[in-house]
Amino acid sequence: MLVPGLAPYDAVSNDTLGMTAALRALGHEVAVFAPHSRDVAEAVRPHAEIDAWLAGADDVLVYHYCIGWDFALDLLRRTKARRVVRYHNITPPEFFEGWSEGYVSACTAGRAELDAYAALDCELYLGCSPFNLEDFLKRGVDPGRCAVLPPFHKVEELLAAAPDARRLGSSSDGAPELLMVGRIAPNKGDFALIDALTVCRRMSDPRTRLLRIGKLDPNLERYGVAVREHMHAMGADAAVVSIDDATPSELRAAYAAADALVMMSAHEGFCVPLVEAMALGTPIVAFGSSALAWTIGDAGIVWNEPDPHLVAMSVMRIHTDLMLREMLRELGRARYRDAFSPAALAGNLEAAFARFAA
Amino acid sequence: MSSARAENAASDANDSYLAGVKAEIRADADAARMRAPLPRKEAPPARSAERLSHDGTIDRARLDYSIAELTGDHYTAFVDAAFRALLKRPPDEPGLDAQIRLLAAGAPKAEVLGNLRYSPEGRAIGTRVRGLLPRYALAKLTRVPVVGFGLNWLIAFAGLPLMLRHQRAADTRNAAQFLDAQAHAGRIADDVRGTNARVDGVRGELGEASARLAQLTASFDERVGTLDARVGETESRLGDVPSLRHYVHAVNHWLVSLQAAIDGIEGASDANRAHADALIAAVHDASEVAAARAARQSAWIAALRDRIGARARVVELGSGDGSFAAALAGLGADVAGFESNGVLARRARERGLNVAAGDPMAALARCEDRSLDAVAVSGPPAGDGLATLLAEAARALKPGGWLLIAAGEPKRLADLANGRVAMLDRPIASALLGAAGFAVDTAFGGPDAVLARRA
Repeated sequence: MLVPGLAPYDAVSNDTLGMTAALRALGHEVAVFAPHSRDVAEAVRPHAEIDAWLAGADDVLVYHYCIGWDFALDLLRRTKARRVVRYHNITPPEFFEGWSEGYVSACTAGRAELDAYAALDCELYLGCSPFNLEDFLKRGVDPGRCAVLPPFHKVEELLAAAPDARRLGSSSDGAPELLMVGRIAPNKGDFALIDALTVCRRMSDPRTRLLRIGKLDPNLERYGVAVREHMHAMGADAAVVSIDDATPSELRAAYAAADALVMMSAHEGFCVPLVEAMALGTPIVAFGSSALAWTIGDAGIVWNEPDPHLVAMSVMRIHTDLMLREMLRELGRARYRDAFSPAALAGNLEAAFARFAA
Repeated sequence: MSSARAENAASDANDSYLAGVKAEIRADADAARMRAPLPRKEAPPARSAERLSHDGTIDRARLDYSIAELTGDHYTAFVDAAFRALLKRPPDEPGLDAQIRLLAAGAPKAEVLGNLRYSPEGRAIGTRVRGLLPRYALAKLTRVPVVGFGLNWLIAFAGLPLMLRHQRAADTRNAAQFLDAQAHAGRIADDVRGTNARVDGVRGELGEASARLAQLTASFDERVGTLDARVGETESRLGDVPSLRHYVHAVNHWLVSLQAAIDGIEGASDANRAHADALIAAVHDASEVAAARAARQSAWIAALRDRIGARARVVELGSGDGSFAAALAGLGADVAGFESNGVLARRARERGLNVAAGDPMAALARCEDRSLDAVAVSGPPAGDGLATLLAEAARALKPGGWLLIAAGEPKRLADLANGRVAMLDRPIASALLGAAGFAVDTAFGGPDAVLARRA
């Protein structure tokens, strides 16, 4: 298992460690290699030692793709082991136009590198969603060498955490509460989200709040300023509770407090917060872009357009319609159990790796 | 097998239910869009130079550097500047980490620059760094086993005179810095002595303040004691506090009973309202009334067909079951209807029409100024209500917009005795409309409706 870095609360790290544990449970010997790691419960080895560890053609190298790491590309070219490229998606650079030249360059370079990885003709390309795999299929990769495996996650730990609502501020006492979990970035639809909050406050209850949980990368500072200015223009400053370093207990409390997880993102390779909402019984309202519609399935209210009025009316309907709310909770829990629970993911992984059994 | 069939049936039922809910939400959203339009669209971000975490900028046009320009900084500042110059972007975390590790392991800066410049990404950009290639090749060669070891010795031996000169220069620089540090330490010691003196002064002031606080506390305690004594005297004088408490409880009880009674009255009122709505809906459905309505509405539609354009924004007040709204939509108009009768409004929505239940006059008051092409009113209010209607319609209509006022249908039980639609008094209606800023269209001659144009 080769990964550029491991850290807590990181989706790629969670996927790497979850996949490692599942493969070990299937009886395989698994080692994790990375240039750096911190605060993870795994004996991570220096990446430079991976050549010595890979003994031959019976071994399998799983590389969790990241932008601009030539070491991995060289290794995949020269190794005799069977190769798996685990792809978590790269945001298209156009989302960052005008916000961050650095992101535009990095994402452009990352997408250009996909050509090189597609040309390697690896034994397996493992996408988090069918939407992710399209990046390789349209570069000519054989569909027989592609498989979908949703990412491993730490949702079970979230389910076991005791809720801690102290930093969520005072409850709006019966008014609707919207929740958005994810980093603050131009592809996340923050402007439409604030518009939806504004419609809720004007049409339903002026005490409606938005719990916004996620970090802002300092390189996207201009975008963060623009979001705050939009919030101010809409008179919603006091209605937004932002937490950029939420603990699992605080995240658990936020999901419990919210009427709905509102996902207006225009580009997602999978979207783990949706799985968290399903497991915790929080209804979902979303713009069905990119991989979102597939991830949600039938377990939420999904719209084909990022329309703030549609989203706001959906949240208000969930807030007042007990039957709908309970139905969405049940559908979410059922989808989590059938598609994204650790047991379901382990089964998917075993099926995808069956090709290496011979 | 039967279990699978049951699951499929449940899934189909859920899908059907969700589809119905989504259709209702979409209708609500359409109405909300009209009532609470958002003031602005997201503006595209302005293009400008990126704010950097370090002190450089990304100069995309520049593709020629010397090694000296890129090696002036140290540690992370050096790697950051190298990324920006050679890859035209800030470093990503793994990239920065990998190059910092190289430097920490003793690699020359030329090797870091070469790693970036001759990576696939760097080659694609093609920045020229004068003299880099031989130095990069040399740095890589020193890593070759045996040969690299000898090469390192050779380079070190050849560089000995230069290293000795650097060492002597460094000794001089260190001595100068040591003298500077001693002078700084002396100044810091002076500052610390001054700070200690100020702390002693503050400590003295704090002692005085503490003594003053103790005096104030004693004075406060004395006054509280006096107040306690007076409260005790007052309580003994009152003596009748239990009976007062009884009266307060009795009043509270009475208030709770009153609230319950009001709730009961409101509940009965709601039930009566629902019953009345059902009765009015029954009248609405009566075949004679429905036939007369269809004939009247045909005449109104014929009049409006040539007067409003496609995509016209029309508000209908008193939409009934939505039959006129449907006909207007058939003309291509964007219609929003409002109906006070909950039974009829629900029926209209079930037909897929944008008709909301509620007070039509309040709905008109929420419309923006000069935003509508036409307003259709079925059953105008009397007295002050009519004046308010005309004023609101004049405000909400665009100049040249149309106002259709039709006499209402018999919706009250008392009207049933007439068995027909009330007629409008056209001369009086014309005078009223003229005074309100409308010009009556005399070409439209319906006996029970008047059509007027906003000036």
